[in-house]
Amino acid sequence: MPAVTPVGTVPALTPVGTVTLVPTVTPVPAMTPVGTIDPGARSDPGARSDPGAPGARDDPGDPGAALAAALEELARSPPGRGARLALVEAALAAMPALGAERSLAAYKALLRLLPRGAWVPRGAVQRLLFPFPRQHECGLRLLECMERHGVMPDAEMRFLLLGVFGPRSRPLRKLQRMQFWLPRLRHLDPHPLPPRLPPGLAAARLGLQRMATEPGATVTLVQRPVPDSGDDEGSVQPYILSSQSPEQRELLARHGPDRPVFVEGPFPLWLRGTLLKYFVLRGDPLPPHLRDPPLDPERSFYFPLRLELDLERGPWDDEDFHVDEVEEGPVLALCVAGAGDRRTLGRWLAALQRHNPALGRTPVLFRLTPGGDPAADPPQGPRDPRLGAGTPGAAALEPPEDGGEPPKSSGE
Amino acid sequence: MTAALLLLRALRAARASPAARGLRTAAPRRAFAKELFLGTLRKEEVFPYPEISNEELAEINQFVGPVEKFFNEEVDSKKIDQDAKIPPETLQGLKDLGLFGMQIPEEYGGLGLSNTMYARLGEIISLDGSIAVTLAAHQAIGLKGILIAGTEEQKAKYLPRLASGEHIAAFCLTEPGSGSDAASIQTRATLSEDGKHFLLNGSKVWISNGGLASIFTVFARTEVVDKDGQVKDKITAFIVERDFGGVTHGKPEDKLGIRGSNTCEVHFENTKVPVENVIGEVGGGFKVAMNILNSGRFSMGSASAGMIKKLIELTSEYACTRKQFNKKLSQFGLIQEKFCLMAVKAYVMESMAYLTAGMMDRPGFPDCSVEAAMVKVFSSEGAWACVSEALQIFGGLGYMKDYPYERYLRDTRILLIFEGTNEILRMYIALTGMQHAGKILTDKIKAIKKGNMGVALGEFLTRLQDTLGRKVDLGLVGDRGVVHPSLQESAKKLEENVYYFGTTVRGLLSRFGKTIVEEQLVLKRVADVVINLYAMTAAISRASRSISIGLRNHDHEVLLTNIFCTEAYFKNNYAMAQLEKYADENLDDSIKKAAKQILEKRAYICSHPLDRTF
Repeated sequence: MPAVTPVGTVPALTPVGTVTLVPTVTPVPAMTPVGTIDPGARSDPGARSDPGAPGARDDPGDPGAALAAALEELARSPPGRGARLALVEAALAAMPALGAERSLAAYKALLRLLPRGAWVPRGAVQRLLFPFPRQHECGLRLLECMERHGVMPDAEMRFLLLGVFGPRSRPLRKLQRMQFWLPRLRHLDPHPLPPRLPPGLAAARLGLQRMATEPGATVTLVQRPVPDSGDDEGSVQPYILSSQSPEQRELLARHGPDRPVFVEGPFPLWLRGTLLKYFVLRGDPLPPHLRDPPLDPERSFYFPLRLELDLERGPWDDEDFHVDEVEEGPVLALCVAGAGDRRTLGRWLAALQRHNPALGRTPVLFRLTPGGDPAADPPQGPRDPRLGAGTPGAAALEPPEDGGEPPKSSGE
Repeated sequence: MTAALLLLRALRAARASPAARGLRTAAPRRAFAKELFLGTLRKEEVFPYPEISNEELAEINQFVGPVEKFFNEEVDSKKIDQDAKIPPETLQGLKDLGLFGMQIPEEYGGLGLSNTMYARLGEIISLDGSIAVTLAAHQAIGLKGILIAGTEEQKAKYLPRLASGEHIAAFCLTEPGSGSDAASIQTRATLSEDGKHFLLNGSKVWISNGGLASIFTVFARTEVVDKDGQVKDKITAFIVERDFGGVTHGKPEDKLGIRGSNTCEVHFENTKVPVENVIGEVGGGFKVAMNILNSGRFSMGSASAGMIKKLIELTSEYACTRKQFNKKLSQFGLIQEKFCLMAVKAYVMESMAYLTAGMMDRPGFPDCSVEAAMVKVFSSEGAWACVSEALQIFGGLGYMKDYPYERYLRDTRILLIFEGTNEILRMYIALTGMQHAGKILTDKIKAIKKGNMGVALGEFLTRLQDTLGRKVDLGLVGDRGVVHPSLQESAKKLEENVYYFGTTVRGLLSRFGKTIVEEQLVLKRVADVVINLYAMTAAISRASRSISIGLRNHDHEVLLTNIFCTEAYFKNNYAMAQLEKYADENLDDSIKKAAKQILEKRAYICSHPLDRTF
């Protein structure tokens, strides 16, 4: 049981923690033993469904529980103020690495390390003058860390904060705002991703499923990556993941061999911090006279499908125009590949031909954007933040605006 | 009884043939319903209410007696429903009564009934849903093709045995992939090398009488050479005998209602059909199918009315005897309301059905398909509502299999579905009317759109007058009116509705033009309004006649008519007010959006009321 291990490591941790009085010191050596507490914690990142869910709080498999237990042990020893503060900050920085960043219990345990009542401002005047700035900032940072990972504070958290920082203090305000906004924003994302994004092929599968939302769309693995896991996944042979719906298959069958189809790409797709590159097989938009074949007048037994009138729709009731409805050719298939060279894409097309015999007779033109070759710049998940990497900057958590390089942790 | 009938038949055969019931020389007439879309009410079409002669009345009454007796005494509907089969002796009884050839002319051995008389018999036959459907599948669609488009030889060859019931007919149109879409008909008929036969291959599903029938009207694709020399696939209608070989059927389908009727798949495998068995011409099957389908619908009105009249008898007996809280059920307002609803619906659908039948029996070639479709939609929905209310009066008892109400409920459900679903018929009604109105209004609307000041000003002035409150007078009431003064109020409401419906249609046409085909929510409202208008007309016309000639209980008819017209008037006004509005105001946009979100996920997407986020 991992819960046993941390207790054993605590004595080793405590003296070091008390030695590092200066908060700016890199906490790497101090926290390293803690990092080894639960080596298996990171192995199944998708296992925890929804960390913020009320029922998931005291999940026994929670990797944060190990940390919490260790911290609880710490809390029993007499507090030394500055050391506790430094310890909390160091722990906060290390939490993602420990896999405890979504554990409410861990945050609570951190709060319990802090002295109760010592940092509560006395009187209104002191409260106005930013009391105990470093200490309160530390509380704020803890809450920010929770907010970033979508951990919902509960009533006990509020009670702990009240004890440490007092009512109407800045951490309490922050808590109130979090309690107001976090529940409202929790289901904002219509395409939720698992709390921890799996690396490589699995991420590609998620991305493809997010783009191809037709219920009948099937995602097929055209080519397995070699080696098929690890950091250098797909370095020998890239993966190819293809998606096509029955409707797209029908469109392709009807496309006809006289007009070419195009392979376009690579286009960027961000899944949190992971950049995927996808390719599209598309046709040109049909000329208007070919788009709607004339309706057979002898088609519907019961009612006319068309009126023989010389009247168009009035301009004041024409609601069909939308700026986002730009004429585009039909998308016939999608693929996410580990590399964007022609050989890889050729293999994708060959696989498509198995279900789309029409593709064999249709000329295929490659319209690949130069410089966007993902082979030169393989898509990579966010590297595991190593201990001591520090808190990643807020900007690094989001994809850059220009869609260029994948974000890199500041410490790398 | 049979002897009496045979005598009767012989007597009638001596009389003039039904073709001589009316002169058939007049020009095609402009139909009543289509004119409603222009805001005009062709009162000469519907006033006075059509009558039949005394001789015809006596004749039909002679039929009604024995048929009624037969249905009351010898038909065990419960058993038919349980066994999912009509017993052979019941079928034989129906055959002896001549009910398998009601509309087949007498020279071919049928009863040669007019549409009106057919509707009258339909009232009784509908007392058992399974028998009604079996008979309708046989003669309203099954053999109708031969009757309306067959050659003399085909008629002489097939009709006598069909009329006697020796052969039963079935109508084979629906295929696994095709309900109302002709393009997905896969059954194929290929001409043999000697040019004397077609080889028929394919499967048809949900064929009523499929297991009983020996004569099938089958629609199949054939290759036809166009005028410009191109080979095209077109639909052709065939008469197929079971004896041609290669005809098999599946086991009867297990259905919700009308369980006694036989519904199954029919397969044709290399069935050899002689070329002389083509109905109409090769490649002309589409028109044949349309005509058959359009002509069969009106009788549902009288059939439903017959059923509801029976239900009123059964339920009122119960309501007047059962006591709750020391009061009879019949003394409760909510129960009274149900009886009123049933009576109004029955009265109106009866009026519509016989008005339409009367129009169809007139000389000339009246095109009453829109009217017939309106009767079908109104009466099927009315029947469903009334049966449900009747069951409700019985409460828990109605839900039990010991009582017939649950069977009526199950049997009635099919009315909304077959012979063209009500949704599809609403499209038909609205679009046919729109097409008619559009042809006449196109020039005017175009002139306004182009900016012809004179026409636009005229239009503006009419609109202005409308908004200021126009006194609409279409000539129903007043000095030269055709409606009895006691129905003045209702007639006024009808006039006003008709006039403003014309305005609404004009507005819709100028707004949507021919793209109105895509606006199904708009078309549905249009169809609802015009169905109500036709229903109001029929009720007023009938009540007016009753009161004028002094029929028994005519005051009750006036009452029912006034109730219906007032309700329909408000419904129409509401629908037309919605039609005036644009899609974002009359909820159409929201409805479509909600449906889109649901269909994207293919599920109900709301969170559970017990879900939490914190």
